[in-house]
Amino acid sequence: MTVSKLDPPARVLVTKIGLDGHDRGSRIVAAFLRDAGMEVIYTPPWQSIPAVVKLAMEEDVDVIGISSLATDHLIVPKLVDALRSAGLGHIGLIVGGIVPDDERPALLHAGVSAIFGPGSPRDEIIAHVAALAAKVREIKNAEFREIAQ
Amino acid sequence: MAIPLSSSEPAPASSDDILDRLAAGDPATLAKCISLMETGGPAADLVHRRVCARTGHAAVVGFTGAPGAGKSTLIDAYIAVLRAGGRKVAVAAVDPSSPIFGGAILGDRVRMRRHAEDPDVFIRSVASRGHLGGLSESIHRIVDVMEVAGRDVVIVETLGTGQSEVEVTEIADICVVVNAPNMGDDVQAMKAGVLEIADILVVNKADLPLAQRTTKQLQDMLKLRHDRREISIIETVATKDTGIEDLSAAIDGLLASRATDKAKNREQRMRRLIAQAAGRMIADRMRELSGPEMEALVKKAAAGDIGIADAATRALEIIR
Amino acid sequence: MSEEAVQLSLPGFEQAHGGWRAEYSRQIGTDRVVKNRSGIEIKPLYTPRDWNGDAFLENLGFPGQYPYTRGIYPTMHRGRTWTQRQLIGLGTPEDYNKRVRVILDAGATAISLLPCNSGFRGVDCDAVDPLLLGTCGTVINTTDHMDRALDTVPLGKISTAMNDPSPFTLLAFLLAVAKRRGIPWTSITGTSNQSDYISHFIANHMFYRLSLSGARRVLLDHIEFCRKHVPGWNPVSVVGQHMQQAGATPVETMAFTISTALQYAQDCIDRGMDIDHVLRRFTFFFDISISFFEEVAKFRAGRRIWARLARERLGAKDPGSWRFKFHGQTSGVDLTVQQPLNNIARVAVQAMAGIMSGLQSLHTDAYDEAITTPTEETARIAVATQNILREEAHLCDVIDPLGGSYYVETLTDQMEQEMLALIGKIDDAGGMYKAAEAGLIQAMIGQSALAFQEKVESGEEKVIGVNCYQADNVAPAGRPTERPDFERMQRHVASFVAYKAERSQADVRRALDVLKRAAGSERENIYERIVEAAEVGVTHGEIVNLLREELGFGHPLVVV
Repeated sequence: MTVSKLDPPARVLVTKIGLDGHDRGSRIVAAFLRDAGMEVIYTPPWQSIPAVVKLAMEEDVDVIGISSLATDHLIVPKLVDALRSAGLGHIGLIVGGIVPDDERPALLHAGVSAIFGPGSPRDEIIAHVAALAAKVREIKNAEFREIAQ
Repeated sequence: MAIPLSSSEPAPASSDDILDRLAAGDPATLAKCISLMETGGPAADLVHRRVCARTGHAAVVGFTGAPGAGKSTLIDAYIAVLRAGGRKVAVAAVDPSSPIFGGAILGDRVRMRRHAEDPDVFIRSVASRGHLGGLSESIHRIVDVMEVAGRDVVIVETLGTGQSEVEVTEIADICVVVNAPNMGDDVQAMKAGVLEIADILVVNKADLPLAQRTTKQLQDMLKLRHDRREISIIETVATKDTGIEDLSAAIDGLLASRATDKAKNREQRMRRLIAQAAGRMIADRMRELSGPEMEALVKKAAAGDIGIADAATRALEIIR
Repeated sequence: MSEEAVQLSLPGFEQAHGGWRAEYSRQIGTDRVVKNRSGIEIKPLYTPRDWNGDAFLENLGFPGQYPYTRGIYPTMHRGRTWTQRQLIGLGTPEDYNKRVRVILDAGATAISLLPCNSGFRGVDCDAVDPLLLGTCGTVINTTDHMDRALDTVPLGKISTAMNDPSPFTLLAFLLAVAKRRGIPWTSITGTSNQSDYISHFIANHMFYRLSLSGARRVLLDHIEFCRKHVPGWNPVSVVGQHMQQAGATPVETMAFTISTALQYAQDCIDRGMDIDHVLRRFTFFFDISISFFEEVAKFRAGRRIWARLARERLGAKDPGSWRFKFHGQTSGVDLTVQQPLNNIARVAVQAMAGIMSGLQSLHTDAYDEAITTPTEETARIAVATQNILREEAHLCDVIDPLGGSYYVETLTDQMEQEMLALIGKIDDAGGMYKAAEAGLIQAMIGQSALAFQEKVESGEEKVIGVNCYQADNVAPAGRPTERPDFERMQRHVASFVAYKAERSQADVRRALDVLKRAAGSERENIYERIVEAAEVGVTHGEIVNLLREELGFGHPLVVV
């Protein structure tokens, strides 16, 4: 099984914005990210964008995973803007769930790193999140090293 | 694979900048400092030393108690009372890491949903990362950092294994132990040791039929204590905000009467941390040590010619 | 059947059986163990040794006769075919009206209404990002909206399923519309399809609006109100769908659902209601998975268990109380995004299982269900599927056609046993309400969900196009996604805002005060006040918001 080797462990937020409430998928993803050695902050659905931004900042997350069904993905660009305004533009972002093909390019263009449809293999998701977290961690560590000078 | 979103961060700061921003209450800086404390290393040590020089102004309240007692919900209600009084709050909520793969689900903060958008309530989830004792290795440093960050009250929520949660007394000025009825044998199973650390006992879910019995059980257990301190038992229903004002008043009352203990506690904690660090250093050196003197000592001990205690004394002399 | 009994009635059986067994073992190669979704082992062959019609009258009997294993009515689908009840919900009330007229013109006598996700969240359309409105259901926040949605629909002649959880504002709007049109409430028929708040708390947080205790109070008031004023309405629909979709096995689903029904029945008894009056209007709502025989056995076992419990445990005397009436929906969870046309075959098989189980009404999913709300074309195919099964495959000609199958009867008995054991466990935990409150059910379902997930990921459970036969995957046709007309929706929201400003604020204020008082008093009927509020123009969001404040906001228990 893929395991993330970041130390301290990667910190991932798994959440849902928008109106949909089906969280079976996001709970399963949270569970296997944990089993891959990551620290997962899991929220119930219907999180407001300001609440997500505040959480991401306080928890210093590396990656945010948005679970989206219905049309919730349409407001992901608004989340991206809010994160950037708060100085959190470095956080990695993935979307899981149902996104119609013709609406994917807009998401990727807005800064989403990858979109995982239903049936995506667990190992693929874990590997992508781990790599994304490692990249984000590098940026953060660089800042810490500067402090020590 | 795509690159993460571009950073709009200002250039990395010096430790002076960080301390200033921290003391000004900037939550982004607080978050980064906490991460730094968890990462460890020279930068973390440097920042922590600077922080130690300034610390000691916030009240630190620890909440412990078995899982299912409603700690997080109670804290959510308590924070509401603090906020109504205009106080700024920071929370460190500890959740267990999985022993096998090291990951964790950090789910306490979502129960503090009233404060999800309140900038004066800073909530941080901390994974235990294999540390025993109900908290995490880094929790001391995290609490120190939170104290310096312009918060009036720092709340620590422990794992809640209910058994060996003594560590929280070293960090917290006030220790609240949360109980709930219908938890089977848990009241009995809660060793007297846990009750010893309580400054305040809470019986949450007090609207349940068996709550009276739980209160009585706790009263009886308190009578058996040697400590003559007066411990209040407060009944609450966290989901309905009942009894929370009483809890807050009790906490404030104790804080006022204990203002002088804070420095002493801190020094006691330092002593233990130094001893712990020293012990680790010695153990590491002992394990690495080779050479004829050490080898001979080990062989003697293995053959029973010399006891382990005596061998250790001799070994200390060798490594000095 | 015992060996001696077999030998007596079927001389030569053992020898022939032994002969088959030997040849089978010789030719089969590796004989893997097969288990169905409920974990019951499935043999390659079933014979009179497994089931031989012992206690035929006691366990099977005849359709329309206790314990109703073979069907709750004597004629079943041969007399009256199952009701086709397709779910509709999209966009504005006008969008809904267009679709529903098409269905009624095609001869349907039953309709179904699905509200927008914003409605499920208990808010009005002006409280939400407009991008999210009307994409999965219809935006109906007032009596006026309902009036437009049901324009020209003969309310007194068709049956309506309201997919609306507590506090059932949509029915309130419908009753207000009926009053406006001079249609007596006694001729209104239909079902509160999502009245099962326990199942929402457990497995569909989307639908969970009020606290557990608040929802409990509103449901009981709703039942009493309907009994008095809308006697043709089924206020209780006990829902197995959400739990099965969340990952509960078929055995678990039926056991949990029946336990929930027992809980609601007990709550009614505790309130002093007559159990027969109440049970007569209980209906059930299930998902039908593609595990064909398992679903048939699940429903047959459920029918038998319910009849016995209703009569013996709840003390109901009216045979109408013992009859297990249920609506089935083909399970969207079995459908795939990959190679979506395959879903037409899947839905056909699921529908067959439901029909052969003796359901009372059926909804077949459109093949693009996994991706989006159905278009007119895909909705048409879904209905055609039912018509083909009925008219061409003649599935209505024989009642309980799988009855007497050694396999199906054995499986029915086995599943019944497991269900009864689970129901007993829940009894030990103090009943379904307490078990759900404590998170017990959620934990069990979570385990089953994870176990199934692992089987799919390992390939042990095969899903065509997902973990096998993927080479056939073609890039989808690239049809642009259908969305409600954005401008039309914005106009709808604007007119709603204008409406709020123009209605009588005094009437609204008064109605809300009355509702608040009712919520605080055990002796008043909250639902009566909700209907009154709907009549004077109080909105969905205003009603839900007030009840959340008075009775508690519904925060589901999150168990990872």
